[in-house]
Amino acid sequence: MRWQGFSDPVQDGQRHFRRVLAAMAEPGTLHDAAATAVPEDAAIGPALWATLLSLCDLDTRLWIAPGLEAGGLADAVTFHTGCRKVATPDGADFALVTPATLVDPAPVFAEGSDAYPDRSTTLLVVLDALAEGGPWRLTGPGIPDTRGLDVGEATALMTRLAANRARFPQGLDAILGCGDCLAAIPRSTRLAGPVSATPEEDRTCTSQ
Amino acid sequence: MNGYNFAYLDEQTKRMIRRGLLKAVAIPGYQVPFGGREMPMPYGWGTGGMQLTASILGEDDVLKVIDQGADDTTNAVSIRAFFERVAGVETTTATAEADVIQTRHRIPETPLSADQILVFQVPIPEPLRFIEPSEEETRVMHALEEYGVMHVKLYEDIARHGHIATTYAYPVKVDGRYVTDPSPIPKFDNPKLHMSEALMLFGAGREKRLYAIPPHTRVESLDFEDHPFEIQAWDEPCALCGARDSFLDEVITDDVGGRMFVCSDTDYCQRRQEEVA
Repeated sequence: MRWQGFSDPVQDGQRHFRRVLAAMAEPGTLHDAAATAVPEDAAIGPALWATLLSLCDLDTRLWIAPGLEAGGLADAVTFHTGCRKVATPDGADFALVTPATLVDPAPVFAEGSDAYPDRSTTLLVVLDALAEGGPWRLTGPGIPDTRGLDVGEATALMTRLAANRARFPQGLDAILGCGDCLAAIPRSTRLAGPVSATPEEDRTCTSQ
Repeated sequence: MNGYNFAYLDEQTKRMIRRGLLKAVAIPGYQVPFGGREMPMPYGWGTGGMQLTASILGEDDVLKVIDQGADDTTNAVSIRAFFERVAGVETTTATAEADVIQTRHRIPETPLSADQILVFQVPIPEPLRFIEPSEEETRVMHALEEYGVMHVKLYEDIARHGHIATTYAYPVKVDGRYVTDPSPIPKFDNPKLHMSEALMLFGAGREKRLYAIPPHTRVESLDFEDHPFEIQAWDEPCALCGARDSFLDEVITDDVGGRMFVCSDTDYCQRRQEEVA
């Protein structure tokens, strides 16, 4: 197997979970997750591979966007975690996607219901760039004032996540991975984009 | 560790709780159902908090456990000993030195920092439960943000007593959306929930619910314009350390009406006494 599991599944899984938890609790902060190596031809980086290893098991359903199976990811994730892969994203607990996956017509993900908003898909997003202090401004729980985030060319993703606010508590949570680097944007976060690219209704959502 | 997995719970259970925690953090104040496991202690002793602690705890973490602010009461001592035994982690009574603090009904007086996690033991996670016994109904009420009845309950307090008589488990609204039970902490601690530096996780073992208040989150205690939220105050300082800013317990000292007021947070009180000495 070229895809390696955690060398110490119990402790490494816990350590990585705490990174994801910290990323989710403080949206837009970057966390280093260089725990596990991935094959050279893989489409996902160590941060998201470790996230799959630490969160997926027999109880979870995973949807992998076309193009991301490179390097035998689908078989590897089954081998290491035993999670089920589903053909349609709306039945998935986790969906491995790129910003391009979310360009119209975007796949339909589970967003939960008002009574059970937790029954939603968590996006694991493969990014080409991820840095603090970018043009996207995040506010909301976990953010003292406002926090900037640079996600590269990912307008489709950010537009999709900005739309969360209008449907709260339903929505999609996103764990962002770029190589060894990890961040998260939960549905509670209000997003405002580079002024020119932001639709009017998104800005009113974030002004409260 | 004598044949137990690290921190007692099996890995699949931990992952289930961890996935629930991520959802809880993403939807602040919403109660996420989880598959609560039987723990080697009865419901009501902190099984919910223990399951969360077991799921987040790592071998490098330093754990502190308090019960009503005290490190040395039965519940705190036994849970601390439990994790020493099944996880082999270092424990402490010093608030500032702990990474994970499991608590029953208090928030430490020493301000928490950004790298700490506070885990609350919650008996009844549903703030509307005493008003509406049906889970199906309260779930719809949360879905529709139908919280008027909660204000009616607080108003009935005012009608009957002239002031809001709720003194603990005082309901809060998290980030302007979910009315949430802060667990039976005294309302004195409610302001510490607002814009906290530390992540706060809540676990209810019998009810199998977990929820979270992320750091830097707006938490308002419900009140009225003409009856604003107020915290408890005492006429005298702590009899042991002289603190005027901490939550005081009344201790009966004899059978002829003698009493003293002392800090409920034993670590805070001892540290202040050492500073004075």
